[in-house]
This record gives sequence, C-alpha cells and structure tokens, in this order.
Amino acid sequence: MRALRQTRFGAFVPVLLALAAIWLHFGLAVPLWEYWSDPDAESIRFVFFSPRNIYNLFMQSALVATLAVGITIVLLLGDIDLSVAATAGVCAALLGVLVLIGFPGWLACLMVMFAGIVMGAAQGVMIAYIGIPSFVVTLAGLLGYQGLMQKILPTGNLYIGDEFVRSIARALIPDIWGLLLAAALVALAAFAAWRRQARRRARGLELDANMAVWGQVAFFAVLVFAAVITMNNYRSLPLMILLLVALTALMGWVTTSTPFGRSIFAVGGNAESARRVGMNVKRIRVAAFGIVGLMAAIGGIFGASRYGSVSYTAFAGGSLLLESIGAAVIGGTSLFGGSGSVWNAILGALVIGSLGNGLDLSGASAADKLMFSGAILLLAVAIDALSRPQGGGR
Amino acid sequence: MTTQNATAAGHPASPPHLRAEGIHKRFGGVHALRGVDFEVSRGEVMALVGDNGAGKSTLMKILAGTCSTDAGTFRLDGRRVRIDNPNAATALGIQIVYQDLALCENLDVAANLSLGREPVKSGWTLLPRFLRPLDDLEMEDKAQKAINRLEVRTLKSVRAKVGGLSGGQRQAIAIARAVGAESSLVLLDEPTAALGIAQTRQVLDMVKRLRDTGHAVVYVSHNLRDVFEVADGICVLRQGGNVATWRAKETGPDEIVAAMTRGLDEGKARAA
Repeated sequence: MRALRQTRFGAFVPVLLALAAIWLHFGLAVPLWEYWSDPDAESIRFVFFSPRNIYNLFMQSALVATLAVGITIVLLLGDIDLSVAATAGVCAALLGVLVLIGFPGWLACLMVMFAGIVMGAAQGVMIAYIGIPSFVVTLAGLLGYQGLMQKILPTGNLYIGDEFVRSIARALIPDIWGLLLAAALVALAAFAAWRRQARRRARGLELDANMAVWGQVAFFAVLVFAAVITMNNYRSLPLMILLLVALTALMGWVTTSTPFGRSIFAVGGNAESARRVGMNVKRIRVAAFGIVGLMAAIGGIFGASRYGSVSYTAFAGGSLLLESIGAAVIGGTSLFGGSGSVWNAILGALVIGSLGNGLDLSGASAADKLMFSGAILLLAVAIDALSRPQGGGR
Repeated sequence: MTTQNATAAGHPASPPHLRAEGIHKRFGGVHALRGVDFEVSRGEVMALVGDNGAGKSTLMKILAGTCSTDAGTFRLDGRRVRIDNPNAATALGIQIVYQDLALCENLDVAANLSLGREPVKSGWTLLPRFLRPLDDLEMEDKAQKAINRLEVRTLKSVRAKVGGLSGGQRQAIAIARAVGAESSLVLLDEPTAALGIAQTRQVLDMVKRLRDTGHAVVYVSHNLRDVFEVADGICVLRQGGNVATWRAKETGPDEIVAAMTRGLDEGKARAA
C-alpha cells in the first residue's frame, strides 16, 4: 500500500477502491439482494446505476466538491478552514441581494468572488501575521460569517431568478460537443504523456514504465468517456460539472506544476525548511486562504444556481462544512499537511455523495447516513495516519 | 586576544577565502562571542570545535547570516562584505547545512535540491514567475548531476521521496543542496551526529570531495575522530573566545581536548 502511494497515480488508489466498493454495494449488491429476497419482484432494478441517478449524484456532489478542492489547498499547508461553508453562504446571500437590486448576473458573480477572496485572505492574515492557529481563526470565521449571512438574509431565504446565475446549473453542453470535448481531453492527455516520455528519453532521464504511462491514459479515457456518455444518456453534460472540472484542473496545475504550488507543499512538509530557503511562508499562507475564499465563493454561486434560491439552512449549520472537509480527507489529503491532491477531493466528494445517495435510495434514515459517513471518514483518516512514513516526526 | 596564536599556527600558502575578525555577539546579558577571529581557505576543511556553550553554533549562524553581529568584520577574498541576512550569505556563495537538515520529506529528491529556486520553463512571460510552469525535467537533470558530482551511490532515483531515505542519504542530499547553489563556502553543522558507521563514512567522503573541488568547508563537530579524519585545520573555541587554531597534522586529540576544556593555559585563554 505504501509503495503504491509513492507513485504519482497511487494516491488515487484508496479513494478509488472506496468509491468502487460503495458503487458495487449500492449498484449491484443491494438490487440483487432485493431481487432474490423478494419473490414478487419481476426484474432487477439497477436504480443506482441509472443515468438519471448518476447525473443527480454528480450535481449533488458538485457543491461539496468545490469546497473540498479549496479546503485541500489549506490542508496541504497543514492548516484547516472551518469557515468555508459559512463563507460560501455569505457569498451566496450576497449574490442573491446583488442580483435583486439590479446588478447583472455576471458582475454580481465577479463581485462575490472578490468578496470571497477578501474573506479568506483576511483570515489568512490573522493566521500568518498574528500567529493564531488556523483552527481558532476559522472557527471564529465560521461563527462570524454565519451571523453575517443572517444579517444579509433576515428572512433566511431568498429566491434567485437571475437568468445568468440560474443558467450555470441549468445549461447543458450538447451531446456531440460533450463527446468531442472528451475526445480532445483524452488526446491531449495522450499527447502530453507521449511528449513527456520523449523528452525524458532525449535528456537521458530515467523513464516511467510504458505500461504505467499508457495504462493511466487508458484509465483516464475510460473515466472521461463513461462519465460523458452516462450524462448524455440522461440529459447532457451539465455546464456546472464542466466548470468544476476546469477549476479543479486549474487548481491541480497551480498546486503541482508552479513554484507557488511547490512552495505550498514545502510549507506543509517542513515550514522551517521553506523559510530557510527564502520562501515567504506568511504570504503563501495568506494566498492559500485567499484561494479557499475564492473556491467558497464559487461554491456559493454553484449552490445558489442549483437550488434557485439561497437559504440559511443550506449553507450554515455544519453538514456542508463537515462533508467538504470529509471529502478532502477521504480523498487522501493528509491532515498533517504536505500531501494530497485536489483531484482526490472530487473523488472524496463523490464517495460522500454516493453514500448519501445510495442510503437514500435504500430508504435509510438520516441517522444511518450520519453514522456511515462518520465511519468512512474515520477509515480515511486511519489510512492517512497509517500510510505516513515511519519516523516522520509525530 | 589570541590572534597571534591562531595565525602563528600556520596556514597553507593560499590566502583565506573568508576571514571574520573581532566578532562580538550578546544575547541579552550573555556575551556569547567575545571577539572571535576565524578564517578558512578554499580547498580546506576547517573544523570548529569546542565544548557546549563555546559559541560554535552562534558563529555558524552569524556566518550563515541568520544571526546578526554586534561588532566585527567579514572579508571574502580580501574584500570587505556584510552578511546581514541569509539571502546576503547565499549571494556571497555561503551555504549552511543545519543539523536538522531542513528537508521536506513529502517532496522528492529533485524537488528538495531546487527548493526555493525552482527552474521554470521559458516563455509564459504573461504570468508572474511564481505561477509559471515548473521545468521538472531540468530540475531532475540538475539533481542527477549534483548527486553524481558528490558520488552518492546508494541513491537509486532522484524521484524518490526524501521521507523514505536513510539518514546518510538525507545528509548527502542536504549537502548536495548547499553545494548545488554555486557556493564557495559550505558550513556543516554536526553532519554525522545522528549517523551510523557506514553512513558517517559516506558523509566524510563527501566532505573530502567538497574540499577537493575547491570549496571552503567549515565543519562543526563533537566527534574528534571524524574531525581528525577530514579536517585540515582545527579551530578551538572556549567560552566565546578563540583558544587557538592548529594544523590537524601537527596536533593530536589530547591536545585539542585539553584546549577545549581548559584553554591553552589559564592565562592566555583569559586574555580575551
């Protein structure tokens, strides 16, 4: 297991296994069990694997996934952000009010994203420059921003009718374009892999095993096409999912392929080391919290768009926050900082979403859902703790 | 002052690369360094020894720029320089390897070797430098060269995570990082303190290679056996002042231990 996680692709394995187990359970085992145990059933009904359900599952998980991508970035630093759901709530409420008083939808979205960055960065400043632990600052943020949201929405509920805002969740990519996009992505991935290998060979660097490289590309192709075709079978690829994937790709690129991202990992791995090589640790912290704020604002926009309204209960109260942190951690991002990936956050969000969705389908109570989610989260953190290298200084 | 003594001990023909004179440092009421003189030449390993509290670490930190001086001058190749902060030290070609190594265990060897000065791909000028794509092939290339130069044979891949390496390999990587940065003076703080016999051997060989490639090396250690194995000169500090500097060939462990604990003789050591 530890050897697997050393590879670039290996970090996906535990969360993919978890996802596969949950999908097989709800998609195959439960329907089969019902069919065999119920003599009156006429045919097996694979409700969970129906395109409609998969489509809904993706849409339900999108908000959690957006926040989880943001949280992943501060988790990489070894910090945590408890205020992310409340920030999303404030941004959604602000968005509702702005379009209500007549701002065009796109401008309101931009203003809200800016507000999110400010809210996140303000917390980052307190953490980095005053030196308060992130847990405390963002706990205060959680309370304060929930209060702020109530101030903005005295009634606790606001309908959003703006066409632009609504279209984010409603707009669909035409079937053929979805497929073309998938083909283009796969071709791009294959080309990048091929060029990388060629360059490594030209420079005489050690080569990745060809099997591994092309296996990854093939696996990626299967995933992308399966997702697009399934969505096309119900409606079409929703714009919101495309936006989420694009944002995650951007964040993934920033965290793994730029000096800034490298410095985030360095601070998470050994902040003192990062300081000594001349990185501005404080500024990096503030920037990371600014990014979480931005992702929270985008999450707020997604949520407002999907529900068609902003309500206090949808954002505040904790379940959204806990699901987002849970998604990031289940995805395999370490709570100890320095390891993880934003892509894993999406898979983690799918794990949490599938669990909720599957339990709903099989008629489980809210209590069961909470207990199952708790168990999965605990399992994920246990894997994280066990897979840390020994003597890693704990 | 014991400078006469220190210089009289006789240096090789080459002029000192770095020369620190009259370094004073106070921490509140503690006079940690009382006018210490220190010099080291290129192609020379100068050991810095002394009992606990003698001022070795403070002197190292001052040379690395992480600690300011209250008084004193530095000359690099005869030119007067200021070492006010770590960046100034780096710019002068001074690199320090701390005892705790300061490696990021979650990153691979190549990433650690270029930490803080990652190469980026050319072009992309629209983006600020910290958002340009990393040139990780260049990074691996440089890492491989640095590792080859120092002949770290046990390291299989520059893409291995540092967290999975042995103590000796980590020490080697920390040294390679210091040397990779166009440095001329390398400060090593207790590099073998936590290592086994074979790994100590590895690191000592590496220190010798540093000397042979024309670096000036300052080597702080408690272990006199290691010191006598690699050092050309041995500078003894005691209670924040110089005792003397010897050529390693012209002295022995007994004399050094005596100097560390008692000074040359009470009168001379107190002269400062």
